[in-house]
Amino acid sequence: MLRFIVRRLLLALPTMLISAAAVFFLIRLIPGDPASLMLGDQVDASSLADLRQRMGLDRALPTQFVLWVVQLLQGDFGMSIRTDEPVLRLVFDRFIVSAGIVFVAVAVASLIAVPAGMLAAWKQDSKLDIGLVGAATVLLSIPSFWLGLMLLYVFGYKFGWLPVVGYVSFSEDAGMAALYLILPIATLVLHEVGILVRMARASTLEVLRLDYITHARAKGLSETAVLCRHAFRNAFGPTWTLIGLVLGNLLGGIAVVETVFTIPGLGRLLVDSIFGRDYPVIQGCLLFIVFVYVMVNLVVDLLYPLFDPRVTEE
Amino acid sequence: MKYQTPAALALALTAVASIAFAQPETKLKVALTADIRSSNPGVNRDDNTDSVMLNVVEGLVGYDDGGDVRPLLAREVTQSDDGLTYTFALRDGLTFHNGSTLTADDVLWSWKRYMDPKTEWRCLAEFDGRNGLQVVSVAAPNPKTFVMKINHPSALFLNTLARTDCGMTGIVHKDSLKADGSWDKPIGTGPYEFTDWKRGRSVTLTRFKEYKSPEGAAADGYVGKKDPHVDLVELEVIPDPATIKLAVASHSIDVAQITSTDVSELKSDPNIVTLTSPDSSKHAILFRTEDPVVGDVKFRQAVAAALDYNQLVDVASDGLSTPNNSAVFPGSVYFDGVQKSGLDANLDNARKLLSESSYQGQPIKIIANKRSPMPSFQVALVTQAMLQAIGVNVEIEVLEWATQLDRYNSGNYQMMSFSYSARLDPALSYEQFTGDKGKQPRKVWDNPKALELLEQSRAVSDAAARRALFDDLHTTMLSDVPLIILYNGLTVWAHAKDVQGFTPWEGKMRLWNVELAQ
Repeated sequence: MLRFIVRRLLLALPTMLISAAAVFFLIRLIPGDPASLMLGDQVDASSLADLRQRMGLDRALPTQFVLWVVQLLQGDFGMSIRTDEPVLRLVFDRFIVSAGIVFVAVAVASLIAVPAGMLAAWKQDSKLDIGLVGAATVLLSIPSFWLGLMLLYVFGYKFGWLPVVGYVSFSEDAGMAALYLILPIATLVLHEVGILVRMARASTLEVLRLDYITHARAKGLSETAVLCRHAFRNAFGPTWTLIGLVLGNLLGGIAVVETVFTIPGLGRLLVDSIFGRDYPVIQGCLLFIVFVYVMVNLVVDLLYPLFDPRVTEE
Repeated sequence: MKYQTPAALALALTAVASIAFAQPETKLKVALTADIRSSNPGVNRDDNTDSVMLNVVEGLVGYDDGGDVRPLLAREVTQSDDGLTYTFALRDGLTFHNGSTLTADDVLWSWKRYMDPKTEWRCLAEFDGRNGLQVVSVAAPNPKTFVMKINHPSALFLNTLARTDCGMTGIVHKDSLKADGSWDKPIGTGPYEFTDWKRGRSVTLTRFKEYKSPEGAAADGYVGKKDPHVDLVELEVIPDPATIKLAVASHSIDVAQITSTDVSELKSDPNIVTLTSPDSSKHAILFRTEDPVVGDVKFRQAVAAALDYNQLVDVASDGLSTPNNSAVFPGSVYFDGVQKSGLDANLDNARKLLSESSYQGQPIKIIANKRSPMPSFQVALVTQAMLQAIGVNVEIEVLEWATQLDRYNSGNYQMMSFSYSARLDPALSYEQFTGDKGKQPRKVWDNPKALELLEQSRAVSDAAARRALFDDLHTTMLSDVPLIILYNGLTVWAHAKDVQGFTPWEGKMRLWNVELAQ
């Protein structure tokens, strides 16, 4: 097991390096200069040259890249051009905010979607199945910003049950923090449930057609026993992989939800940094997201044998 | 012993009474469309940052409503006969937020800090000689007097000190820096103290109880009556306009800048007040005069004659603004009858001018962006339609703001729908687009006569003489058409009905004189 983990982590290194190079050079291909953005529309040439020099933007691109990689190897992600904050601290602080929302949302979505998907498969072609699949399709088709705004409108403005704007961290006031996070989490849950229900249903249908399920039924086992004891473990495998992918995706970017609900998370930081051409923060964010993606998928792979022992044998 | 009980009773009653009559803390919740960039005035800043920080710090001088410069921390400013030495007499009883008395030594320390290149002050080049003007010496001969000497007479010296993008050259206390010399937080003299900043979330300001307002009966730019009334101001970062609208409508936020399209809806709520605040920023169509077609003055004059300004401005501003073809904003003391004269729409004349130009039907590209709340795209769209009416084939190229700024700075375009940031003095306003294109490609007008007039307006202090220069510049600009100034910017705000005295100015929130009805 340990060898497997080490091998996977070592395999992640080239991924990280390629990502770092791609991120570094691609962001610089986009026209726009952070120094002139900082100085605005009225800037004299000498002030611009001074600022570019202080930012290190006057150096050749390969030199900038090498310096950045050397810094990274020393654990230094650099400083934000826009806010003068250390990038690593900035990224980590914002990641914690996003991660809290995403983990809860994905857990709740999974708890709803997996049984719902299995139920739909079990009752294939029934009204329940059509209803569940229809609802899932509608949910995953609704843009999350619109869904978020509608939830704000109904529960924040019309009924006044939940706060419309603001954010409180759990360290400040756990009760208030939970109150502020209900709507953003609900938005993510509703969206992700749509995706996961469809996957859970498809993989359950596939398993229910296998011979060993027919054999179990032939033995006279109850449908509950067939579903829960025999079908679930095999059907959950693909859904579990999808949950890992969804988790990785969301951890890297819920900018829309964060913008609508005024949450200071990683997605919003990344978008703001792109508009501000804050190269060190963009690079730091994207590299961190790649790392998180790799780690989440590693954990998913490590836990996979719990549901499908064949993977361990392989 | 026998007096103990009544004494205790009296004490208790006093305590109860003090609790009963204690004023509850008043709190104003304000929306910020983006987080501030830093708390370091005039250094790492944008308009949003200036808007917040100019409630915290003040300079020796500040702008009034008409764009004139008036004393602020100074009681009076005197100029020597040769126009080189400025003496600032400080007002009495001014204190910093930490309780220290403001002295000329503090002003001297602040100035030296600004002039240190390590501070990275945005306006360093305006005072170190790189742009001509240089402060050659500063002194604090006594605690109430600060003296500055410049290298040549300048009508813009005080103006530049007062500029909002320079952070009003705000005076801060030495303890604004950490022990290692890096920036900590502003300890200024303004009506509000900078209390807390949760990055990406909110900024908290508290009323500076010892604040001493400059003289004046009412708010007047950044001078005049400046009384802080609200105990606590919480500025919440809300980037999404739709969320801001919901926050205002649900009264989760007391004051917010909104989009012009939301005005009619919010206006219908009797508990919400909407207001527009014009400013000196300018929305314009720029021409790259090196371009073979656009460089032809006949073509530019044809474009100028083809535009129906009332209609264009009506569409671009959602009916909230009116045309102004002058570089001088209507609230300025220099906005006279000549400045009011603008460009006339005349389609017959436009077609005639176009036929006399070198234009042969080739596509002309106009660059625009969709950065809210700027009307760049709307202006481009209406311009395209109006120019098609005289036979000009216009294509719109929409760019993201940073990319457009790059093209603007390098002069890489034919036509551009662009918004200039606010400049209150006409010389500074003309300077935004007038100058040597070879040295600064962002400039669009290098007519030698205009350069000469502008140079004179920078040196002459007499108001009448300056007015004549600006009038001449305006007439020449309308004839040359290096750009078409369409109208001045405006910001649109909404606030709860129980918020009284909120009067934004130059697109910035002034939190002084604001009261909450009980």
